[in-house]
Amino acid sequence: MNKEIEKLLFNPIRLKAISFLMTVETCNFKALLDITESSKGNLSIQLKKLNASGLINIEKYFQKSYPTTDYSITKKGKNSFEEFYKQLLSLK
Amino acid sequence: MTKEEQLSIINDTIKKTKYNLKPLGYNLVFWGVLIITMSLFHYFFPQIVQFTYYSSLIYWVAIPLLGMVYTTYYNINSGNKLGYETQLGRVIRIIWAVFGLSWISIVVLNLLHDSNPVQDILFLLSTVLIMSGLIIRFKPVTFGGVGLLIFTIYTYYVPDINFLLVNVVGITFGMLIPGLALYLLKKDE
Repeated sequence: MNKEIEKLLFNPIRLKAISFLMTVETCNFKALLDITESSKGNLSIQLKKLNASGLINIEKYFQKSYPTTDYSITKKGKNSFEEFYKQLLSLK
Repeated sequence: MTKEEQLSIINDTIKKTKYNLKPLGYNLVFWGVLIITMSLFHYFFPQIVQFTYYSSLIYWVAIPLLGMVYTTYYNINSGNKLGYETQLGRVIRIIWAVFGLSWISIVVLNLLHDSNPVQDILFLLSTVLIMSGLIIRFKPVTFGGVGLLIFTIYTYYVPDINFLLVNVVGITFGMLIPGLALYLLKKDE
């Protein structure tokens, strides 16, 4: 298994976030906050780490004058997660 | 964290992601009520709707266009409230957006060529309902679409049929009733 991915997804917040992003097209910060049940600050840090490793996209824009952020999984993120999931199943 | 715990987190998270069926139900009910009301108004007050040839064109294009603006606004708002869009939701959204554009095109083309668009629209609507019902695995919508398709085919064999009443019957059974069933449904897919 890719050690870098394994290390990244060892954190439950990052694992929850990427599992959720696998099932949706896009989502906002609040949806990720609900699903991960973490604090805003912690989630923000974990998402930045996922983004820095190229697993997720973060798109910031203004909606009705309010700053909004959309999150989605990248192709690399999908492939890495699928590989990670298969490895988990095989080790079970 | 053990491998089992990791697998459990993944499975639990995926299970929490639901496609919200209520907005589709609301859309079907809204359009059902709007089209039935418009058809009945046209049926009982033809002197108003058909005041000039183009007045009926405006009536059947302008009001649905306003309806589209409203439902687009409603769908964006409900999407923002939910905070995410599933692949299933995206497919349904695209199908109905394409249907909306086709609907307006069919109305304009038929009225410009002096023919009635009701059968074409109902035929297209029935196929979209069948697709939607099969995608979300909700039998009333699929059956509503199949019923509407059979009813639309039947209308081709009945001469001098009143298309406004056809609209009322077809939309009631194909859109309004399945839409209500979907809207009142408690669980999400």
